[in-house]
Amino acid sequence: MRGTSIVTLSAALAAALGAPIAAAETVRVFAAASLTEAFREVAALYEQQHAGDTVELNFAGSQVLRTQIEQGAAADVFASSDLVHADALVAAGLLGPHRVFARNRLVVVVPAVSPKVSRLQDVARPGVKVLVAGPTVPVGRYTAQVLAKLGSAGLYGDDFQGRVQANVVSQETNVRAVLAKVALGEADAGVVYVTDAATAVQKVRTIDIPERYNIVAEYPIGRVTKSDAAAQAKAFVDLVLGPDGQAILRKYGFAQ
Amino acid sequence: MTREGGQHGEPLPRGLWLASAPLALFIGVPLLALLFVVSPADLARHLTSRMVLGALWLTLKTTLIATSLVVLVGTPLAFVLARGSFRGRELLDTIVDLPITIPPVVAGVALLLAFGRRGLIGRQLEAFGIAIPFTSVAVVMAQVFIASPFFVKAARAGMEAVDARLEAAARTLGAGRWRVFWTITVPLARPALLSGVVLAWARALSEFGATIMFAGNLPGRTQTLTLAVMSALEGDLESAVAVSVLSLGLAVMALLGAKWLAGQWRMPVA
Repeated sequence: MRGTSIVTLSAALAAALGAPIAAAETVRVFAAASLTEAFREVAALYEQQHAGDTVELNFAGSQVLRTQIEQGAAADVFASSDLVHADALVAAGLLGPHRVFARNRLVVVVPAVSPKVSRLQDVARPGVKVLVAGPTVPVGRYTAQVLAKLGSAGLYGDDFQGRVQANVVSQETNVRAVLAKVALGEADAGVVYVTDAATAVQKVRTIDIPERYNIVAEYPIGRVTKSDAAAQAKAFVDLVLGPDGQAILRKYGFAQ
Repeated sequence: MTREGGQHGEPLPRGLWLASAPLALFIGVPLLALLFVVSPADLARHLTSRMVLGALWLTLKTTLIATSLVVLVGTPLAFVLARGSFRGRELLDTIVDLPITIPPVVAGVALLLAFGRRGLIGRQLEAFGIAIPFTSVAVVMAQVFIASPFFVKAARAGMEAVDARLEAAARTLGAGRWRVFWTITVPLARPALLSGVVLAWARALSEFGATIMFAGNLPGRTQTLTLAVMSALEGDLESAVAVSVLSLGLAVMALLGAKWLAGQWRMPVA
């Protein structure tokens, strides 16, 4: 098999160069926070299929991961929750060609216990505490886009977008922080991905955002050019793009 | 007051200098690196941006309030720990010190579970229409929680160092407890008290984890300098470095202040 020969070759090379072979058998995957559960399962499957290899997962907001890679963090695979951060790394020569492997949508979450918000328009009501992600976080930018669409549609009265912005009590650094604080009941509403809401069904209720006003978040995956586990990185990306990886992603609510 | 310095006539062996260099360099070099990334002109431009000025003002305001509160409620506690002998003193001492050793994010979660809208105490406050999370009050509370041990430890040590016989003598001369405290204990412990104040302030300045957990991150309301660094880092590294330089400057000021106040340049503070 070609994959095996590359592994053998790189192992031989690593040995020749005096590098520890074990280092080449670890594949470091930097993935958007919203991929947490799905990628843990993909990683477990990878380790099962590639005995001896280990997957190190680093989850954070995609913008944080991008900065880390720009500053030279050792990463082999980057899976972002938007194209912006992946394209920026490609432009800087730090990421190889990427492919979209999953799609996602936004939803409003409210605490399951005594929610103050039951309809989308309530989010703009004075006194409602709204959590969003910051403007550099992909989900934060998507949120702004959705609010703009809803606002210009004029469904919910004047300046819907402005009234929601005025209700924002915090710009969190990743989508899971938004979800956690809504689940705790500290905020009345938050905007997260559909897949995030699905991980906390007992703690939050969801309010749909009509498809017309929603966005499609595209998740690209690619190999980091300075990776020192190129073969493993490729195998991991292939697994995510292949039927097994896709089945796992769909199980967690991601669209193809 | 004279204190033992570390000075002896004999020079230190060269090996010892060499052995102490790695740590000093390890800490010093990254901090110096901050200074070389952004030119002074760009630094000035970034530091006068609205985000930075807003964060600086909020930081100064909240840390000064937090430090005042720490002194107000920390001084009696330090006195109790220094002069009291009671069961559970060590337990109390441990509880008071805990914020130093627990991760700040954990402190933030704890604050949320106590003072959040669904929290133990926050639930009662909610009945009066008071909600603390995501407000500037939450920022101050996070700072008090994290920074108070630095003052209490220093104050306690300072008070313990005051000769109890002096206090007893003043008492036999007819001074009340309160007067003894203000005219004997506080003046004699002043260097320790002041360095405790500055250290607590410095710790409040650098507070991040508990703040972002409990108070969130909103420019103008809860975004302090450290949170501004984090937010800027996600879009604009240069601006993040500029804010970092500003924070470094404040921290250096605080530490030099603490050392000067404690009046002991060659000894560790606190």
